[in-house]
Amino acid sequence: MLKLRTHLRSAVVRKTLAFGLPIALILSILATGAWLRAQDRTTFQVRVDMVVLGFTVTDQKGHYVNGLKPADFRVFEDDIQEKVATFAEGSRPPMEVLANGELRPIRKPEGGDQEEIGAGTVDLRNSSTGTNVFVLFDTSNYMYRGFVYASDAIADFIRGLDRTDSVAVYTYSRNLNRAVPLNRDRMTAIQGLRHAVAGDDSALYNSLLLTLRDAAKVPGRKVVIVFSNGPDNASMVAPDDVRAVAEDEGIPIYVISTSEVTRDPISTNIFKRISTNTGGKSYFAKTWQKQVEAFESIREDLGNSYTVTYYPRPNPNEGFRSIRIELTSEGMKKYKIRARPGYRPQRTF
Amino acid sequence: MGAASVGNVPPEVAERESAGDLAGARSLLEQEARSNDASATASLAVFLDRHHETGRRDALLKWAEFEKDPARRSLALRQAVLTDFMDGKSVELTQDLNAYRAAGGQDFALPPKTAGKPYSTILIPGPLSSFARMAAVTPDVEPEDLLPAFARTVVTNGYQASGNELLQQTEYLKLVIRYLGQARELQGLANANHQIVIPTCDSEQTGNLLKILGYRMRGSCGADISLETVNPTRAFITIDSGFPLSDLERDLRGNHRFELPYAPTPMPVLYDAKYWLAASGKAAEHVDFIETFASDPGLCRLYLGLSHLDHATAEILKAQMPAEKMRIYAAILDFYGSMFQVRNGAAVVPGSPKAWGSLAGASPSSPGPFFEHLLMTDDGWLAGYFDALTRLGDGPTRNYLTDSEHLRRFYEALRGRITSPGPARPVFRATSDLLLLTTSLRMDKDGTPHIPGNLDVWRTLFAKHPHGKYDARLSKSAPGWRSKDDLLEGLFALSRKTADNEPLKVFLALNDIDRDRSKPLSADTAARLIADYRQFGSQYRLFADTPALSEASMLHYLDFCKSTMEIRDTLLRSDVVGSAQAVVEIWNILSGRGAIPVADQDSSFAAVVEAFGRVHAPGDLMGAARTSLDDLFKAAGDTNHGGRQDRLVELLVGQIHSGIEGIPSPGERFVRMFDAQALIPIDYLLAAADHSGKAALDPKAVKNMNDQIERLRENETLHGSLSAEEKNLYGGSYWSARHVALERKFDLETMAKNPDKRESHAVLAALLRDSLVGMVYCYYAPPGSQIMLTNPLFVRSHDFVGLEGAPAYWAATDVSNSGWPASAGGRLYGSLVSVPYVLAQAEQNFMTPRREQALIWSDLVPQMVIGVTIPRWRNVLPTQLRWVSLHIERGKTLIAAAGLDSKLMPDVMDALGRHLAPGEVDRVRLRLLAQDFQGAISQVPPAIFYAISEDPSLAAVSPDVASMEIAALASANRPELTEAAIARAFGTPKPTLTHSYKPALLYVRTFPALMGFSSRILAETWESNNLYYAALADEAGIPAAALDTYVPEWNRSAIENIYAANLEDWPALIRSLNVTASGVLHRTSGVTQQASAEGFRN
Repeated sequence: MLKLRTHLRSAVVRKTLAFGLPIALILSILATGAWLRAQDRTTFQVRVDMVVLGFTVTDQKGHYVNGLKPADFRVFEDDIQEKVATFAEGSRPPMEVLANGELRPIRKPEGGDQEEIGAGTVDLRNSSTGTNVFVLFDTSNYMYRGFVYASDAIADFIRGLDRTDSVAVYTYSRNLNRAVPLNRDRMTAIQGLRHAVAGDDSALYNSLLLTLRDAAKVPGRKVVIVFSNGPDNASMVAPDDVRAVAEDEGIPIYVISTSEVTRDPISTNIFKRISTNTGGKSYFAKTWQKQVEAFESIREDLGNSYTVTYYPRPNPNEGFRSIRIELTSEGMKKYKIRARPGYRPQRTF
Repeated sequence: MGAASVGNVPPEVAERESAGDLAGARSLLEQEARSNDASATASLAVFLDRHHETGRRDALLKWAEFEKDPARRSLALRQAVLTDFMDGKSVELTQDLNAYRAAGGQDFALPPKTAGKPYSTILIPGPLSSFARMAAVTPDVEPEDLLPAFARTVVTNGYQASGNELLQQTEYLKLVIRYLGQARELQGLANANHQIVIPTCDSEQTGNLLKILGYRMRGSCGADISLETVNPTRAFITIDSGFPLSDLERDLRGNHRFELPYAPTPMPVLYDAKYWLAASGKAAEHVDFIETFASDPGLCRLYLGLSHLDHATAEILKAQMPAEKMRIYAAILDFYGSMFQVRNGAAVVPGSPKAWGSLAGASPSSPGPFFEHLLMTDDGWLAGYFDALTRLGDGPTRNYLTDSEHLRRFYEALRGRITSPGPARPVFRATSDLLLLTTSLRMDKDGTPHIPGNLDVWRTLFAKHPHGKYDARLSKSAPGWRSKDDLLEGLFALSRKTADNEPLKVFLALNDIDRDRSKPLSADTAARLIADYRQFGSQYRLFADTPALSEASMLHYLDFCKSTMEIRDTLLRSDVVGSAQAVVEIWNILSGRGAIPVADQDSSFAAVVEAFGRVHAPGDLMGAARTSLDDLFKAAGDTNHGGRQDRLVELLVGQIHSGIEGIPSPGERFVRMFDAQALIPIDYLLAAADHSGKAALDPKAVKNMNDQIERLRENETLHGSLSAEEKNLYGGSYWSARHVALERKFDLETMAKNPDKRESHAVLAALLRDSLVGMVYCYYAPPGSQIMLTNPLFVRSHDFVGLEGAPAYWAATDVSNSGWPASAGGRLYGSLVSVPYVLAQAEQNFMTPRREQALIWSDLVPQMVIGVTIPRWRNVLPTQLRWVSLHIERGKTLIAAAGLDSKLMPDVMDALGRHLAPGEVDRVRLRLLAQDFQGAISQVPPAIFYAISEDPSLAAVSPDVASMEIAALASANRPELTEAAIARAFGTPKPTLTHSYKPALLYVRTFPALMGFSSRILAETWESNNLYYAALADEAGIPAAALDTYVPEWNRSAIENIYAANLEDWPALIRSLNVTASGVLHRTSGVTQQASAEGFRN
């Protein structure tokens, strides 16, 4: 675990350098941090590094709109227009956005960390392309009857992921089980999935929180896909508090519920809310066929979405910062944009 | 050799060792040892031996080579022999044993080969890993423990009562039996080499295999095929049993040959299958053993009962009772037979054999008939009584209870007139109270039971029963009680009831308050405590934690508790109660740690409470908190003049920033959680109350307060989008919601303008309460607490009010609202008195088990967590780590020496028998005789190594390096090495067993699984973790100052690695500790060179 953290840390730092943040500024931030610590041991400040923002654009008929360029949209944070640093469409590699709006490939850092990582494991330091997909599979008693069909549907989904995507398979009942860490080897992922053990109680929101915490450590674009039939009889955290973590970290949550929409209105509302507010989607798919269709829809969503990054301009707001994306062309004004509504900057001391 | 250390350690070596630089220390010692000086070679050998480093045998032999003193030379060679035996190196063992004997050593010889328990083998279909997954047992157990593990799971989880009172198989057991059938079918596909072979995708075998597995191919053979479910029942078993379906799919896609070894698994069965099938009334040739076994819970219990016993006792019982007959009493044998033992041809009984003969109707001198009568008499009451008394160690309690007169009298009280249903009928033992009573009973110096107060106060409790009658007969007889025995008889009589046994709880709680007091409670105080127990009893833990409290202070506290209930404003009442409880808890933490000197504990407690007793309006609370905290600082000798917030944090958790890379320090964790809860530093609130406005406040304070309140408002928005159904079901306490709503309205500007300060003070009081309560939460929250970091209202939602008619202000802490998506998340209610345990309980489901089975013991895990969050490891000294490490090593070498010294064996086994059951001791003995030291100690808890190293009967026997090092340390009479100091540093809190969170080491036998909440007691009898971590730290060279950061991580790892078969599977915990130690030693191996994980493992 410690080793992984080291990788992640070096990934973040290197990525920051690659995106062109002046070294002097980094040093100044570090120096400021040290000064703050010396001044007051317990005063918290907000800190925002890079913001990763994923969104999809659909036309009036619900079809995805592809081929947009950075000049086609503007990103606002609390009505402050932000300068987009990188841009990517679907699973294509992100490109650096130049001052004139043109794109160019991101420069790879020279040299690099020579530490070896396990065979078959994704080198997160270089995972700038594709999406990091975390599948969270309910193996509690509530899923007993649909367990094997769900397993089939998830296996199909994993097989069909873009080759640049990475996938982690987590299962949960009362506790989370990290069956397969983030990986690009589909066979390994399916092996882990097929090795899942059916459990007892269901702690969906506890487990979703832990999954989000893991996902937050991974650089680049990431999504969490929850496959559950809804009930939770063991969590200590509320769905909306978990949703806030996903919002803040910029991780869309997709939910595939094996329950009917009308069967459990509470879970239905929650699923809709946590997916919509994080830029994801919810599906109610009781049959295997519907589940396969839901996964197909998620795959499409991933393949047709845009991902931009930016470093927020100075903003005195330390609370919730709303995010707005505007399409610049009049002809596009009627298009619908789906993205997370905002985030709360991280507090640190 | 007196008390001199074996090797002289140069100061610079000691310095490096205690700083964690083992490589440097070793290098210096090796340099010195090159001179071939005997003392230097001894130092190196002792160092390597202590850290279990490679080359220790060579170093010991080199020491022996250059040692001039014959006694020391013999010691070195003897240590080499012990090392070989412990490491299982038979060739070296023979060589070193010869050298040792040539040097005059007479005590050691290789043990004679002895037959173990008679096992035969059955075959179960399919691989062990699949069976283990389906049967919910761990495949990590030793082979002969597999069937008992399965039997226990069948008994506890395999059956449920159906409508007509017959037992019905649960879904769990149905799946196991279905799995066995499917595994048998798969075995039918395997060839003569026990391999399932699928030559190509389109072969006939493919279809046959997929049919059994419940799958079919989607698409025709080629790269695009995938497997999909066609028979969900079979497919479920395929997945749940871990069949390598994805490997099969991969090979089918590539049209590769698929090969899977699929042999039946041999499983050891005690005696032979025929014996057990006969007990079940089945003929061996017509049935499958494992299915018959699983289908007969009585047979499972008989197997469990006989497998607990030592070999000799089991043989006697078998000879006495035919299997069919014994099966009828199997539940009693299973629960209460584990202490059966035969010695010198007679049954071992607690007390007079004659008295037991009279009770059982058969003399212990004929063990077979005696045990048979124990099992058959009164549906298990006598056997349960025998079990409870046999578990007691030698001493006055045992002497008193087993005195012939008391033995009969208390037995008759326990048994009552109607014996059915007996205590072995339920799935768990129904003798929880009996075990608690006999284990916790304290004796006065005159050998009679300690009765808190006097007899009269207890007579009043039973006769006048202020809270309702406990037992009609006892109420009638109580006025006539004349002696302590009469009261004890009453307590034994109540112990048979399954209903809540309040008198016993009160009796034990008061006993625990009295335990360490210099002067026992007076009758008046005892009477008051008895009378107030139902309302304030959970608070008595504070009195038991601090024996220095005077009776006046206790009564004053109870008066204060009572007075708070007279505050009419509910919000103010909960603010006063919450704030006072928080400051009292902080006082308790500081007292327990010794930060407040014993001499000042009583006066400071009184002062802390007194301040809150004067609160009548919200404005008073600010002043009370200020006075109370200042009294606290004064008592803790804190003369700083900085802000109260930072001073409190440093008093509680030390410096905020630590120098350990990668792991946040306790201080950092604390501060992060405090902020995540949007709490406001105490100083800002007090200043705001003084100035009643923004004008005179520090801008930093203004910003912080505004920010945190804004975050509260934002959180409201987060939950504001609830649907109508959710709002209807929104699970929040009315008063907690009002409390938070009031805080959200807080505005410094408005406060400044409003001339009426009452409203401002009400809000500030609420905010202050949360900041104080937050201090307690942040202190006790397990590292990485997800709830604290995620739900910003967790502290603020603490419900002190409770439900109407059931006020929670002074009740024990509990969790509510977990697992309810429509709620605002789980929250705590009640007082703060048991927050440490309940926070751990609330966090336990965030642990992520590393193995397939998500079986985390719901009562064990919180207990394991508080075992670390309460002692904290802040003031542990390197000598204490060394002391514990040496004792654990001494315990192990004593057992190893017993394996090589037949004269020593009985003494060591007797010492083990004071802590382990006879069957467990027999297992150690048999493994030693088989020269399997690691097997011998694999099921001995580390605390028992420590306990036997302290056993007076073994103090002077078998001197070894560890015992001599211990003697050298002990000769300095260091205060940190007293029994009490070691217990304080490495003990565990036992809130249900001792009514106190004060860490203690009791070395009681681990309790069996009992009915009801008593499984918490089972967890509290496990005392090994901290001792294990201390020894691990010493071996791995972790500096003592870093342990408060590292140990919580180790503890989490130990919890997540538990892979247990059942509630009593203590060996699973030993295995998980060993896995954790391996990881720690592996990580530190760069420092310790080649420290061997195996060396540390049990």
